[in-house]
Amino acid sequence: MDTIKYIGERVLIGQLGHGFVILSFVAAFLAFISFYLANKNNTLLNFARLAFKTHSIAVVGIIVVLFIMLLNHYFEYQYVFQHSNREMDMKYILSCFWEGQEGSFLLWTFWNVVLGLILNKQLKNSEWEAPVLMIFALVQVFLASMLLGIYIGDYKIGSNPFLLLREHQDYFNIPVLQNPDYVSKLQGRGLNPLLMNYWMTIHPPTLFLGFSSTLVPFAFAVAALYNKQYQTWQKIALPWTFFSVLVLGIGILMGGAWAYEALSFGGFWAWDPVENSSLVPWLVIVAAGHTMIINKNKGGSLFTTHFLSITSFLLVLYSTFLTRSGVLGNASVHAFTDLGMTGQLVLYVLTFVFISVALLLNNSLLKVTYVVISLLLWFATFLYGYKKIMLGVWGATSIGLTVFAYYKYFPKEKDEEELYSREFWMFVGSILFLLTSLIITYFTSVPVINKLFGTDKAPPKPFVYNEWMLPFTVLLMILIAATQFLKYKKTNAKDFYKRLLKTFAISLLFGLACCIPLYFINNTNEISNYNLIFYTLLFTTSLFCVFANIDYWVIVLKGKTKKAGASIAHIGFALIILGALISTSKKVTLSKNTSNQKLSTLGSDFDDRKSILLKQGDTLPMGPYLVAYKGKRKEGINYMFDVEYFKLGKDNKPEYEFTLSPRVQDNPRMGRSPEPDTKHYLNRDVYTHVTYGVMEMDTTKTFLNGYSDAKNYVGHVGDTIIASNALVVIDSIRANKTQEEYLKNDSTLIVTAVLKAITSQSKIYYAHPEYIIKNNVVIPKEDTISALGLKFVFWKINPQEGSVEITLSEKNSNTKDFIVMEAYLFPHINILWIGCIIMAIGTGIAVRERLKVLKT
Amino acid sequence: MKKLHIIGLLIIAIAIGVIFISLNNTSSYADFSKAASSPEDEFHVVGKLDKTQPQIYDPQVNPDEFTFSMTDNKGLTKQVVLHKSKPQDFEKSEQIVLIGKMQSDVFHANDILMKCPSKYNEAQNQVN
Repeated sequence: MDTIKYIGERVLIGQLGHGFVILSFVAAFLAFISFYLANKNNTLLNFARLAFKTHSIAVVGIIVVLFIMLLNHYFEYQYVFQHSNREMDMKYILSCFWEGQEGSFLLWTFWNVVLGLILNKQLKNSEWEAPVLMIFALVQVFLASMLLGIYIGDYKIGSNPFLLLREHQDYFNIPVLQNPDYVSKLQGRGLNPLLMNYWMTIHPPTLFLGFSSTLVPFAFAVAALYNKQYQTWQKIALPWTFFSVLVLGIGILMGGAWAYEALSFGGFWAWDPVENSSLVPWLVIVAAGHTMIINKNKGGSLFTTHFLSITSFLLVLYSTFLTRSGVLGNASVHAFTDLGMTGQLVLYVLTFVFISVALLLNNSLLKVTYVVISLLLWFATFLYGYKKIMLGVWGATSIGLTVFAYYKYFPKEKDEEELYSREFWMFVGSILFLLTSLIITYFTSVPVINKLFGTDKAPPKPFVYNEWMLPFTVLLMILIAATQFLKYKKTNAKDFYKRLLKTFAISLLFGLACCIPLYFINNTNEISNYNLIFYTLLFTTSLFCVFANIDYWVIVLKGKTKKAGASIAHIGFALIILGALISTSKKVTLSKNTSNQKLSTLGSDFDDRKSILLKQGDTLPMGPYLVAYKGKRKEGINYMFDVEYFKLGKDNKPEYEFTLSPRVQDNPRMGRSPEPDTKHYLNRDVYTHVTYGVMEMDTTKTFLNGYSDAKNYVGHVGDTIIASNALVVIDSIRANKTQEEYLKNDSTLIVTAVLKAITSQSKIYYAHPEYIIKNNVVIPKEDTISALGLKFVFWKINPQEGSVEITLSEKNSNTKDFIVMEAYLFPHINILWIGCIIMAIGTGIAVRERLKVLKT
Repeated sequence: MKKLHIIGLLIIAIAIGVIFISLNNTSSYADFSKAASSPEDEFHVVGKLDKTQPQIYDPQVNPDEFTFSMTDNKGLTKQVVLHKSKPQDFEKSEQIVLIGKMQSDVFHANDILMKCPSKYNEAQNQVN
């Protein structure tokens, strides 16, 4: 085996790449150690900086090498082979880069490096430089190890992106790869076509920058605990935290927009585990940011700022574990392949939980106790097994000791917060955010819980999440609306209520005026009483939130935009909630089919008739529209199903409105996947996707003998023949010569019938079947309108009656080609998207202002 | 008692409430015979498509009804009525998860999840 000499393998560049991987790991480790030592003694600081810079260069080196390999199609490398090919458009090269797990880890590592370098510059020579960068370096050690691809005994550490195809476990025993000249025969597999869109280019880098940015508050919090400097870091971390809120928020919403535009979830949010696991860290980082604001303005909230900053990052790690270990199995539409790193991921999550808890226990004796218990449990697991029980005991110990340490040792405020103070209610709001994130985490973790406890619970359906989130969101809306009008420390309650009364009254009137017709009079979706109450409450309170924040911005802040970042972001958030509420609760199934019996014994879930059968040529009523399926087109691997929409205008004549072309992608990697098509209006979206369609194009096969039995028509010029998809008028009859000429010369007489076919959409096609007499023999020449599948034969002239006889046969597929489609109307979904933009702008303004304050 | 303590207690109460309610309310994974024993409850049943039995999908009659047979992990085969349109690539599915209720010996599903064979393992074909 070893004797084979392979031709054309470019081994050197891979070794260079892997060299960078090892360098990045070693340098990160050195940086960690030297920052750790520099934390006590500044002499090593320069070396530590150098090590971190070396690590950064190595990471950039890995990326550059991988890019060179992708750009030049070095298919002998597994990563290049797996994720790219020659035919692919070069604009998707970035998507290839992070399609694979190794690439996405690399992206994360890269952002950490960028943030680390910026932080290093910002903190240079301050007391925070060494400890914060120490944590950064530690995280980088772990991330860099994910790319190592080294075996220690039977354990594989990381997955090396610079592995040759013939070295890879999935490929090494393939005979072709034993051929010395295999390189020249390789064609890459290419990027998954489902990911060939601009979302794949912008969504992952944004989301990973978001994930990456949660490391900053985490690093500060851990560094502060380590150095017992509980008071001062929040001020520096605050703009970073809201930067994280901004970027992670945009990343999540981009994911929602992608799902809505290009995936057939049937909405913008499906409570999919992958979506949840990016939402949950965001909720916690928002809570962390708000407690930091309390700390900055009034002091205190020491434990919560630490706890929330740490939790947010730990949840990012937990998400990574959830989505990349294969534990979710059947619970997610996102398919991540298991790279065999589950053990490693679990180990990393547990290590960081351990470090965090050990540092939160700010008492030496407690720390020692915790470390000893942890080590004992670890050894016991090694010796005796019982992994789950040990993990449970360890988890309980961690929580118990943390609570104990908080009560006993953590520095706390002496006086109790005033009820009418901003900090108290901001704190309550943060805790609500934490609580919702815990509930979502719990629901999302059902497959993990099943694994741990051997239960067989199914993951909750989206409506379960929605119903749970409703009351919390109502409370949050009220808090976000009202809390700004409270001052720090103490506020006069009477003034506060007076100030808010008008806004509240307006919101209530407006809310009821909208909700009564929306939900009570016109309860089309058969909403339950629980939901009716909470929809109304949420509608009203989110309006209250919008109005109160506008009020605060305009009156209290005198319309100064610079100062109003928070208010603007809050308006955006409330609009997102309002848009989500209206578009989800008033979602209309346009394609409801009425042909069915109700299955009352099964419950309402089964009554949801949401598909419509559209046959080519038919025009059917669907909701307020008339729809006609025009036929399919094939573009590459996509089948586009063109569906035209009409509305009844004056005189009940259908008037053309728009055409939607939902498609089905015949994806060689994943099979057939539908992609929706949506018509956007200012106040509503019409969203459609094909759930079932005949995919074969059937061109040659049906053309030859795919016609139905012919029907004969006798008629005159001006008469109409009725086809299933058009009206055919006999426009004129023309001959190439007169009858006398024909009789005189005994040559060929050609009589042409000009047939004008008018479709229901007023499109016009012509057919010219010919009636040919040659040497007294009649030879009809047929003509077809292939677009409509109509075939005409002009075979008889009756001179006495002055009539002609024409047969019509229709293509079988005229009756056979059909699609089954779902169509929904999302009312006012634009409120949601506008809210997203407003929230992003508001958060951006707030980050900028906080940075300015920090600099002065 | 501090106000914050009240909040803390409330949180714990809600957390316990969530766990308790969700333990009672969510459906669980089961096989056909367990699903048959409580026809009012919703179950997730995992199994494989029985390719020997006919698959009936006539969208002319009802585009939201697709009938087939599935063998659950215990080896029991039952007729399934999926109250949705026939999923694309249905024949290729390796494993099926049905969500629904078992009533009078027929499993009525309102949703279906399919695992299609991972093409990652088809390395051989890809290289050639």
